[in-house]
Amino acid sequence: MAKRLTNRKILITGGGAGIGRECVNQCIDEGATVAVLDQDIDDLKGAIENNSLANSIVPIKVEISNSEQVAMGVEQAALKLKGLDGVVNSAGIDLFTSFDEMNWDDWNLILAVNLSGAMHVCYQALPYLSSSIHSSIVNISSGAGLLPIPDRVAYCASKAGLVMATKALALDLGNRSIRVNAVCPGAVDTGLFRRHLSDQGQVRNIAARYAMNRLGTVSEIAAAVIFLLSDEASLITGTALAVDGGRTFH
Amino acid sequence: MSQNKVALVTGSANGIGKACALNLARSGLDLILVDVEKDTLHALCENITSEGFSATTISGDCRDTNVLDEVFNIAEQEFDGVDILVNNVGRSARELASAFVESRPETWVSVLEVSLITTLQITHRAVPKMMNKGWGRIINISSDAALVGDAGLADYAAAKSGLLGFTRVLARELALHDITVNAICPGAIRTRAHDHLDPSILERVKAEIPMNRVGEPEDVANLVTFLSSDKANYITGQTIAVNGGRHMT
Repeated sequence: MAKRLTNRKILITGGGAGIGRECVNQCIDEGATVAVLDQDIDDLKGAIENNSLANSIVPIKVEISNSEQVAMGVEQAALKLKGLDGVVNSAGIDLFTSFDEMNWDDWNLILAVNLSGAMHVCYQALPYLSSSIHSSIVNISSGAGLLPIPDRVAYCASKAGLVMATKALALDLGNRSIRVNAVCPGAVDTGLFRRHLSDQGQVRNIAARYAMNRLGTVSEIAAAVIFLLSDEASLITGTALAVDGGRTFH
Repeated sequence: MSQNKVALVTGSANGIGKACALNLARSGLDLILVDVEKDTLHALCENITSEGFSATTISGDCRDTNVLDEVFNIAEQEFDGVDILVNNVGRSARELASAFVESRPETWVSVLEVSLITTLQITHRAVPKMMNKGWGRIINISSDAALVGDAGLADYAAAKSGLLGFTRVLARELALHDITVNAICPGAIRTRAHDHLDPSILERVKAEIPMNRVGEPEDVANLVTFLSSDKANYITGQTIAVNGGRHMT
């Protein structure tokens, strides 16, 4: 089958690990070159050296909540890739806490990374995306941005904000043929998830929220991202596509 | 018996159904196609076989239980049941569109029967085999009429909204059998109906769409093929719009 992202230049934030990393892998499998903006790129650099992917991946160390670093990182990505056809905003942080025990600085940080950071990347990438005929932005929101889960007020609010920002941006950019969509994963089995939840009973309880009674895999989330980046989705814009084994029924 | 997965597409002679049939055939599935338009369906079948793929056609009305008996006899005897069901058959009765207060009950009953009840009837027959096999895909073609509430189409919007509720319940009930159930809401898609429209109406429709164009049947078929694949294993109970941003879900 023909590759679906041949010669596309894709910027992926949070591409150093988890869902973002799998998006990097699948983009490359589909023929794209990728710039990764992440605060931790050491592991990715190691993988590049081991797999001779130096021509396919440009890792750039960026703290997404830092505006200056984002502006410089996006510019560097576009220069190295010679333009941008797509952006995947996968960088995100989580916070488990009751609202009354939440540290207010944490609220600001969650919003700064999950919402403001993602939108700042879009803002800086826009001039480059405007020059492409295949432009697509995919924001990784969360099922928690569509239907709340306990002890995650800041996280749910940031991800719901990202869904609405996605739709509003889709409305504004539609006539420039730049598509903007969100993917809303349910609980996904990543290293980070397992570090937070090592207890099997807790994992079973979380899986039970989903009709399929299991966690998602990074590969299942990335497959939806690739579909939305590709021309197969050329009429799809402003959607929030939940990939969650049946919880949000969105 | 072929080892390929089998997709049943209803209302498949034209438009979105036809594009789904072609796309699914090219992705390596065997097809069972049903439509009332015998000659058009036959031409599509020839088109598919000329590309080296396989399709079995049944011409008839999906409201007729004898037709459904024939479809599922073939599905059981010539194939090992239906793996992927694309419920595309539907009718808007757009030529009879009117304000609800002026509409005729006979029209609603007909629209609900074609656009909602047939999907329940066909799905009811297809699901037991999917449950036995522990794998299945059901894709219900709804409409953005269900989301937007276009004036003059109360019966059609009711039928297509009914499909959305049906999709969610069935997704919950079948999730543990690895059967996913999703709905697609196409917006304005270029079909035969557009050929007879005044160009000014099409311009007005386009003006409501952020991407400022009507879609092609292939735009919907691409999503149907994605949802039919193993890539979409974890997507279930969703309503996905393909409408250039006309109404955002």
